Amino acid sequence: MTATAASAHSEAGAAGGFASGLLHPVTGLDHVVAMVAVGLWGGFLGKRAMWALPVIFPMVMAFGGALGVAGVPLPFVEIGIALSGVVLGLMVAFTVKPPLWVAGVIVGVFAIFHGHAHGTELPEAASPLTYAIGFVIATGLLHLGGIAFGLLAKWPGGVVAVRAGGAAIAITGLLFLTGTL
Amino acid sequence: MNAPLRLAFPHPAHVAVEGWSDLANGAIHPLVNPAQMLVVAGLALLLGAQVPLRVKRPPVVFASTAAIALGLTAAGISGEVWQPVPCAIALCLGGVVALGRPVPPLLVDGFCLIAAVALGLDSGVETAGWVAVLKTLVGTLFGLILLTFYTALASSNATGKPWAVAGVRILGSWIVAISLMVLAFSLTGKGG
Repeated sequence: MTATAASAHSEAGAAGGFASGLLHPVTGLDHVVAMVAVGLWGGFLGKRAMWALPVIFPMVMAFGGALGVAGVPLPFVEIGIALSGVVLGLMVAFTVKPPLWVAGVIVGVFAIFHGHAHGTELPEAASPLTYAIGFVIATGLLHLGGIAFGLLAKWPGGVVAVRAGGAAIAITGLLFLTGTL
Repeated sequence: MNAPLRLAFPHPAHVAVEGWSDLANGAIHPLVNPAQMLVVAGLALLLGAQVPLRVKRPPVVFASTAAIALGLTAAGISGEVWQPVPCAIALCLGGVVALGRPVPPLLVDGFCLIAAVALGLDSGVETAGWVAVLKTLVGTLFGLILLTFYTALASSNATGKPWAVAGVRILGSWIVAISLMVLAFSLTGKGG
């Protein structure tokens, strides 16, 4: 028990906090697919959404994280996270293009679930500030990865690849939702 | 209440690099203090996003206020600011940057003033001897001015390029997210 407890986020100091924060968002597949889907969907929705969604997501996610850290209960967090992969993946797979504000609300709602989970899971960071820096940078880079992938949609062949990517994300979310993963 | 929060935020006083002069060590202080970096980055991005770039009053307000605040630090009146305070300032600055709207000049000056006060009062020195302290704080003043306004100048090149403007807004949202999380950690006494 002691060894397990010691190995969990035991890095000391600022560097440890940064590394811990940087790695945290990429260690859960359910989180990763949703973050990538945000960028991917933004890339599909056009220039304004491509940049608006990655602006909205981290801010709302941090709000959700703050609720988690503060111990404010939020029901159906895991379901919400899994559902985010399903919904965002389907949006990409079926090239759904709602108005920007609708897309913003959808992304924002899911961001709260993701943030809350992160905040609840990791209230004890080695250095809160450097942990937060690493965490937000990793999240942003996943979005940028999704945007880069989404830019393939400029080419006909790329559209197929991006839609297939969306379908893969939706299936992954579904597997989490049903408890298969 | 205050003690555990302070423990949760071990404040890095001036990090001294051996072999470097006091002036140089003072100049790099904002770079090695993440909370100060957030404030500097937020302010620089805010200044750089203003069209046209305002090169007169903001630098004067920032430099003079920072000099006064650093003077108070040199006099031993301050030396450390409770870390959530710079984070709250960074949160506001990042929020304004993320919104991507023009800011009234008076508000820009206000942000410069508040940021300079926080940064100046948060730059305590543990070096012995008033000459060394003075040299270090003069270095910090130069470091703060150079870092803030060079970054502002560099980011002002983004204006007119949609993708670069969007990039600046994303950076603003990152500053908001980081600050919000740190405030949550601090106000609940968690972390550390």
